[in-house]
Amino acid sequence: MSLTLYHRHVLEDYLAGFGEKANPNHIAVIRRPAIFSILAHRAHEAAVEDALKPVEGVHLRYCAPDEWLVVSTTLGAAVIENRLGEIAGASIVDQSDGRALLRIHGPNVRKILAKCVAVDLHADAFAIGTSANMLCCHVSVNLARTGADTFEIVVPRSFCGSLFEDVMEMGREFALTAAFADS
Amino acid sequence: MASLITCPHCGTRPKEEFSIRGAALKRPDPAASEKDWHAYVYLRENPKGRYQEYWHHAAGCRRWLIVERDNVTHDVFAVSDAAAVRGASE
Amino acid sequence: MTSYRLGSAGTVNRGQPLTFTFDGKSYKGFDGDTLASALLANDQMLMGRSFKYHRPRGPVTAGSSEPNALMTIGTGARAEPNVRATVAELYNGLTAVSQNRWPSLSTDIGAINGLLSPMLGAGFYYKTFMWPAALWEKLYEPVIRRAAGLGKLAMQADPDRYEKSWAHCDLLVIGSGPAGLMAALAAGRAGARVMLADEGFLLGGSLLSESASVGGVSALDFVKAAIEELASLPNVTLMPRTTVFGWYDDMVFGAVERVQKHVAVPSPDLPMERLWRIVAKRAILASGSEERPLVFGGNDKPGVMTASAMRTYANRYGVAAGGKVAVFTNGGSGYRTASDLIAAGVDVTTIIDARAQSADAVPEGVRMIRGGAVVDTKGRKRIDALIAERSGFQEEIACDALAMSGGWSPIVHLMCQRGAKPVWSDEAQAFLAPDVGSAFVAAGSAAGAQTISASLRDGAAKAAALARELGFAAYEMNIPEVEGEYDPAFAPVWYVPGAKGKAFVDLQNDVAVSDLGLAQREGFGHIEHTKRYTTAGMATDQGKLGNVNTIGIVAGMRGVSPAQIGTTTFRPFYTPVSFGALAGTSRGEHAAPTRTSPLHDWAKKNGATFVEAGLWHRSSWFARAGERTWRESVDREVQTVRSNAGLCDVSTLGKIEIFGTGAAEFLNRVYCNNFLKLPVGKARYGLMLREDGMILDDGTTSRLSENHYVMTTTTAYAGEVMAHLEFAAQTFWPELDVRFVSVTDQWAQMSLAGPKARTIMSRVVEDDISDAAFPYLGARAVTLRGGLKARLFRISFSGELAYELAVPSGYGEAVADAIMEAGRDEGICAYGVEALNVLRIEKGFVTHSEIDGRTTPDDLGFGRMMAMQKPDFIGKRQSSRFGLTAADRLQLVGLRPLEKLEEFSAGAHLLKEDATPAMANDQGWVSSVCQSPTLGHTIGLALMKSGRERYGETIVVWDGLRGGQVLAQVCPPVFVDPENRKLQG
Ligand SMILES: [Zn+2]
Repeated sequence: MSLTLYHRHVLEDYLAGFGEKANPNHIAVIRRPAIFSILAHRAHEAAVEDALKPVEGVHLRYCAPDEWLVVSTTLGAAVIENRLGEIAGASIVDQSDGRALLRIHGPNVRKILAKCVAVDLHADAFAIGTSANMLCCHVSVNLARTGADTFEIVVPRSFCGSLFEDVMEMGREFALTAAFADS
Repeated sequence: MASLITCPHCGTRPKEEFSIRGAALKRPDPAASEKDWHAYVYLRENPKGRYQEYWHHAAGCRRWLIVERDNVTHDVFAVSDAAAVRGASE
Repeated sequence: MTSYRLGSAGTVNRGQPLTFTFDGKSYKGFDGDTLASALLANDQMLMGRSFKYHRPRGPVTAGSSEPNALMTIGTGARAEPNVRATVAELYNGLTAVSQNRWPSLSTDIGAINGLLSPMLGAGFYYKTFMWPAALWEKLYEPVIRRAAGLGKLAMQADPDRYEKSWAHCDLLVIGSGPAGLMAALAAGRAGARVMLADEGFLLGGSLLSESASVGGVSALDFVKAAIEELASLPNVTLMPRTTVFGWYDDMVFGAVERVQKHVAVPSPDLPMERLWRIVAKRAILASGSEERPLVFGGNDKPGVMTASAMRTYANRYGVAAGGKVAVFTNGGSGYRTASDLIAAGVDVTTIIDARAQSADAVPEGVRMIRGGAVVDTKGRKRIDALIAERSGFQEEIACDALAMSGGWSPIVHLMCQRGAKPVWSDEAQAFLAPDVGSAFVAAGSAAGAQTISASLRDGAAKAAALARELGFAAYEMNIPEVEGEYDPAFAPVWYVPGAKGKAFVDLQNDVAVSDLGLAQREGFGHIEHTKRYTTAGMATDQGKLGNVNTIGIVAGMRGVSPAQIGTTTFRPFYTPVSFGALAGTSRGEHAAPTRTSPLHDWAKKNGATFVEAGLWHRSSWFARAGERTWRESVDREVQTVRSNAGLCDVSTLGKIEIFGTGAAEFLNRVYCNNFLKLPVGKARYGLMLREDGMILDDGTTSRLSENHYVMTTTTAYAGEVMAHLEFAAQTFWPELDVRFVSVTDQWAQMSLAGPKARTIMSRVVEDDISDAAFPYLGARAVTLRGGLKARLFRISFSGELAYELAVPSGYGEAVADAIMEAGRDEGICAYGVEALNVLRIEKGFVTHSEIDGRTTPDDLGFGRMMAMQKPDFIGKRQSSRFGLTAADRLQLVGLRPLEKLEEFSAGAHLLKEDATPAMANDQGWVSSVCQSPTLGHTIGLALMKSGRERYGETIVVWDGLRGGQVLAQVCPPVFVDPENRKLQG
């Protein structure tokens, strides 16, 4: 007997009600992101970070002095796992199923996120490429700025539905829409 | 409404991101005297004013911090990573 | 009805008339009016009844300090009580109703309270209704509440949305009058991120009511140009309709923005109000100053208002407060009001100046009484005359409005909210802002500046200095010239003695000078006592208008300076803030975030009823057709697990991945039992203690490879345990190489339990899971048929042969479906946490009902697990303490009723037979109870004094809460399979 197992995104039911049309302010819910926790062991922090930087096709998200998320919205978890390979002094944990990735963008994105997070997201204070763990709608997430008007939220799967509803509520005045995206 | 703590790793954050564990006491040596252990487990100074506390940046870097602040005015004098402080004192 | 609308003056848009109702009657106003200005324009001076005596009242201000003109605006669920008509922005269709009157505003039975006023003086609550206490709740309070009070709440759910938002800036400017505008311009031009907040719906503050010219243009045009420039700067945010109500730690300011309070039909996509938490590097308080009323007999008649309010109604709203106006003043403000009114075509008859002489210019044609005072007023629903007194002679002067000016008090509330007290200045005859450091400074008249030009200069200079401090290049500001400004200097007059009628100090609370005197005589002289005794400075206006007069009068009575009296304590909020705004979106289902298991939908389609467990929603039981009660479902689930197999969602358990060469040593120190020699591929049950020797949490930890473990925690303590591990690793033993990461969300975890579990599991898993290949406590990575990588643990919380299978969360539902399918022929069922609880009680397994922070390992029968030979583990030192090893400690036992049909409940206490229920006789208590379908009767776990020595004893299970008692037999806590044959089979 061989099992054919389907994979289900946590927001499947939440997004069922949305149309295809994306408004200027929009959340793209990445269907199958690859997300890995990287833990640097004592005294290996700098070496691990150096080893991660040249890995192609991934984004490095800062979590703590010795912890990062490696994120890819284009490559699968298996590919990323291969590319990461063995890094001396690092422990690598696949979190691709444990986290959801929401990419929120649009002209009013900062006004929407100001209702969600306490961190100053002005470009002078939170430039493109910056990322950090923070509370977002009462949930601990990793937030990254990936463009002038684009941010990515990496949220624990179990909190994702609750967080999604809250962010959508905060985006109501700016007609925020949401849909799945493959990358 | 809010208080802000500046985490050395994450920047300025509201206190909702942290949980506080109280006095930043050093754990006694396993073989320390009965008296020292008793004091560590049960006794607290509870001063009014300047105080060192353990704060956990639970919603951020998840590092334990030692926050030195005035518990009357909430003036924060220093925030440091507890591992760095404890590690250095070994 | 006379129209009091003046020619063309003001900021109201006469091209846009609005219709509104007040007490059911329809009126017209203009866009740009407040409710108060529109009512005044319609000759409706009477706007409310006072709190205690039900005296007729009209507006006394034109702003947020208004104590009198409080109304209920809106209808149905949107009816909001105690709205100040003086700040309520008029909109088409606005419905306002007066308060605290019956049957109507003009005929109010409650006004009889005024006749009883000798009885209702200060402290009357305390004196009159002291005894008997039982009558307070039933009689006095309801009666008083009906007679004296403010508006009524709509007893319906608020239909509107509210939001909260953070904001960050270099400089927050609070107030947009002359100082605030210049401050915003100075810092904005320098490039700083500026937020300019003002409670008004138009920015401009006092300049909107100003007749002087600024920079060669009218004050209004100056404001327009300044706002236009500010709006064009990308680094400046303008926030009208936004009251900064509080200053909190670390330069966080609370503000509330009234987003849609002025809209007839609110948009469902916008919040009604938005609460702002503004993090400002620097802030300028440019809140202006408050004109003090004068305290004289009959000073509360409708038509008596501050001179600046009357000026605002005329200059800003184009409304005359009356047709025949008199002025009573102790400084320049009264003269300016007279001349502005005359310029607007209003008849000003008399100026009565308390000072014997002054340099203020008397407008032509106005009678001047110097060194005089108003001692009484006449008229009921509107003043019709005043009694002036000079040199002992009194005369009656006809008027239908009286402007009063008692000098100025800087508005310094925000700066005093964190403990600093305002400072009395003899020179300014006012309390000035305290020095609260360089990050938050007052500017303009809030800082004691007297004139517009001084305020313009002060605002610009202070903002420029702050911008420089923050590293912005200085911007050279031109200070505009002001023409036609007046000197607001005054000589203090705290009150006019010899009043015939009541001379009110606090209009909202009906506190008169005589009440303050009574408070002093009865020993409530301290200003905080005076406040509580007389209620001066309480309620919605918090004494904005009256407090300084109260202090001045009390000082006079005691023969000291106001500096020695000091002020009462300033606390947020500056003006009332709705609960809706404070709650924001956190209401109803969104009061807290919720967590959903990856098997949530699987549970749902299998008929689960969910229960909240912390933030999680866990499947509680799975009702099938024909089952009438939850017990029937649970009994069936338990029996199915014991006879066949059941599948339970345990994804909510905390899962922590642990890595490092120091991981084994670390685990050995955080668990009280041995972990150093746990073999790879094995799980071990472990107990973590607190440093005081009590159990913190239990769970299993599995060694997946030499330096790699995965720990499970209870659902409830997942967060605590993670923080505990991090605390131990970072602060106790930072030298150990150990790292953690939570993988709770990565894995969908399900427990397959029952005698047929292996048969079913082997249909899903490729690996050999025979007892020999995968014995009890096995733990390893496996591959599911079809190739999915998973983790399998042979652990049991039911006493049955059981496996916990962890698969990546996205596949959780599919794998659970597959297991149900694989087990269909074996009679598998889904079971929930209720059945799980029954199964574990039957087997004597503990949860946090037993691990309640007061139990040691030995108490729960784990004494032999304690590895006291280890050099160190958390909790070791206190574990050997006398109190934790005492022979009569409560120990875990089982209980079964002597009579099979009898039941008892958790929480009941244990007594020896014939013992009286008393703490001294307490033998312990029942921690967990269930109806055991396996045994067919109630069973319980209990913590009982020296319990393990007392198996076989008959004990009384006494339930004081629910009533009743049951006889039970004490037994070992394991009711099912004590030899673990099923578990290890
Ligand atoms: Zn941090």
